[in-house]
Amino acid sequence: MKGTTMEKHAKSVFRVVINAPIDKVWAELTRDDVLLPFFFNSRYDTVSGLRKGAPFRMISRDGKYTSVVGEVLEFDPPHRYVHTLRFTSLDDPPCKVTYELKQVDGGVEFTLINEQVPLGTKTEKYVTQGGQFIVDNLKAVVETGSATLGGRALLALIGAMSVFNPKSMRTENWPLEPTSGDH
Amino acid sequence: MNEEATDRVFQALASAHRRQVLDIVKADPGCSVKDVCRHFDMSRIAVMKHLTVLEQAGLLISEKQGRTRSLYFNPVPIQMIHERWTDEFSALWAHRISALKHRAERPS
Repeated sequence: MKGTTMEKHAKSVFRVVINAPIDKVWAELTRDDVLLPFFFNSRYDTVSGLRKGAPFRMISRDGKYTSVVGEVLEFDPPHRYVHTLRFTSLDDPPCKVTYELKQVDGGVEFTLINEQVPLGTKTEKYVTQGGQFIVDNLKAVVETGSATLGGRALLALIGAMSVFNPKSMRTENWPLEPTSGDH
Repeated sequence: MNEEATDRVFQALASAHRRQVLDIVKADPGCSVKDVCRHFDMSRIAVMKHLTVLEQAGLLISEKQGRTRSLYFNPVPIQMIHERWTDEFSALWAHRISALKHRAERPS
């Protein structure tokens, strides 16, 4: 790593202005009753909803597979939501994801921050590529009701590829327990 | 992205120095204004002007950390311009195939 950022961790930031009321953006971001296109067509699974301290997992359409597990660190509607994130297909330690919503001229300034991302890992690759996808498609979903053209093509591909999901991703391997701190 | 915002992105990118700033920040996320200045033979004020133009275009995000600012490159505006003129089959697959590669190659 060059410059002054001599850390073992990477950080990336993605920002977009979404032309919609802030409550609508928040509601879309935290929906747990449908597959979320901007989260790669996965759905929130929790014990009793998203709230501070709650563990969650992102499950597939049929619920058989879990792609991501995490724990909610902050949950302040409609402005700030922070959680840990760990990919079930990888052995990397969890990183931290922050979503910030701010009312601005022309809509809501939505910022996605990936922090404490272990450097040089696949997790770094996934969240850096994924961050762009998430902000882009959250905007599209909120404004138009569906993902971008490119997003829809990728989601179709993911759906087709899911038959190759490794056994380690099966949901029964990922009980809803707090994940931060035990790695 | 409306036309005004699009203008700001193109204006920001219509400068070799500003494009170079984006290269520098992209290669070193979280770097400071001082880090950027080190690459240029111009005054800090001149660099700051470029940073402001990039920030107003949404291409640069700066976070205050105490007395210094940490800079991050925001690729989203460029992605949105890309999407405007790219149909589902042209540039898309080249990018998506690399995602497929990562998916297929990940350890099971």
